[in-house]
Amino acid sequence: MESSSASQEQNEVQTNLPSSVVRPVSRTGAPNNNHNNSNSNMVMGKHRLAAAIAALNQQIHIIQEELDQLDSCGEASLVCRELVSSVELIPDALLPVTRGPINVHLDRWFHGANDSRRNKRWI
Amino acid sequence: MSVAELKERHMAATQTVNDLREKLKQKRLQLLDTDVAGYARSQGKTPVTFGPTDLVCCRILQGHTGKVYSLDWTPEKNRIVSASQDGRLIVWNALTSQKTHAIKLPCAWVMTCAFSPSGQSVACGGLDSACSIFNLNSPIDKDGNHPVSRMLSGHKGYVSSCQYVPDEDTHLITSSGDQTCVLWDITTGLRTSVFGGEFQSGHTADVLSVSISSSSPRLFVSGSCDTTARLWDTRVASRAQRTFHGHEGDVNTVKFFPDGNRFGTGSDDGTCRLFDIRTGHQLQVYYQPHGDSDIPHVTSMAFSISGRLLFVGYSNADCYVWDTLLAKVVLNLGAVQNSHEGRISCLGLSADGSALCTGSWDTNLKIWAFGGHRSVI
Repeated sequence: MESSSASQEQNEVQTNLPSSVVRPVSRTGAPNNNHNNSNSNMVMGKHRLAAAIAALNQQIHIIQEELDQLDSCGEASLVCRELVSSVELIPDALLPVTRGPINVHLDRWFHGANDSRRNKRWI
Repeated sequence: MSVAELKERHMAATQTVNDLREKLKQKRLQLLDTDVAGYARSQGKTPVTFGPTDLVCCRILQGHTGKVYSLDWTPEKNRIVSASQDGRLIVWNALTSQKTHAIKLPCAWVMTCAFSPSGQSVACGGLDSACSIFNLNSPIDKDGNHPVSRMLSGHKGYVSSCQYVPDEDTHLITSSGDQTCVLWDITTGLRTSVFGGEFQSGHTADVLSVSISSSSPRLFVSGSCDTTARLWDTRVASRAQRTFHGHEGDVNTVKFFPDGNRFGTGSDDGTCRLFDIRTGHQLQVYYQPHGDSDIPHVTSMAFSISGRLLFVGYSNADCYVWDTLLAKVVLNLGAVQNSHEGRISCLGLSADGSALCTGSWDTNLKIWAFGGHRSVI
């Protein structure tokens, strides 16, 4: 559907993208209607290049910011400690051993035919 | 400036981006002194252990005549909406297994559905590139169909995922094959913000999934075929707050961790990963090697209410239950009694954390809950 020169220009604009990125995905196997704006006029070549360069310069700025932030970021172990502590504080009805309280209503899936109390042991 | 000069500048800028990304990757590696499992083991934590009758299938929701693609619970505990290849949304009372609504869709190619926070509306989207809203209290029309109360049009590609903003029936976020996410005002049907797009410092391929933080609803994450996940602030549409690299395939699913400071991702590369939103660190990789040459893709994921368990659906019909702290598979719901007979395409936890719902290509939904002996400390 694209002319070869427009396709070539599109590829040149997107040289930094892996080939998988330009592959549209159809999750259901049905016809894909993902319209690609880069099928537009060849006369937009210079403008599109300039826009692509501006976007790359913005990316450079963003990555540089992130590099600077890492200087004061702290190591992963600090985050892991916080994560482990927070997980263990929260009651969880799907765990065999958990912090309380556990509301009996959380076991409503087994009410009716079963006595809801006989399957639980309280410490 | 000539085209040739512009092309040269483009190449130079591309090289700079690649060099900086490599530098960033190396600097991050230096800060990864441990992962979650390494730290948890050092603290003497032991894996969760389930008995054979602990996590059981307690309901089977039958009614769809095609593959189930998506499901969502209401905040008020017991209702689920599901979307299927049969071109219908079904609203279920999961406790009684009864269907309360069966909505025939104007476009049968549906990929995603969501329940509004109030439980009064449902949304869906798919290959029609639009998100349709249905008010569950509206009467059906003379043809017996549920009318669309609002159509959110504007995406230039399929709608892969949608989620209502917590506590707001009037706003939802969609992800799309047009490489963008959009925040919609349902009252007007207009786009409030567009996140990404060509040359907008967003995703560079189809976006497949979104997850909104329940503790900070202005924050959401998106996952894409460009192998990254991105964190967005709805107040700043011009650029992502952070981009998370690491996956080697499409990121099919993203889900915020219950504490709101982390999120999980699942990918075609067969792994799930846990990222920290404040530091950007990749905290953990969840991967179980297989003997087969084909690595099963991750299709769906959900955390238990504490975050201790991570439920993951795969393309080979497995449904692993991971201990998120020890990075160990503690159960496979795809291999137990009453397991699904096909791929698990979607799963979600009830709002109170008491049950997991799985949806499958075998056309059924199943509810799983803890039916064994629980020790409460």
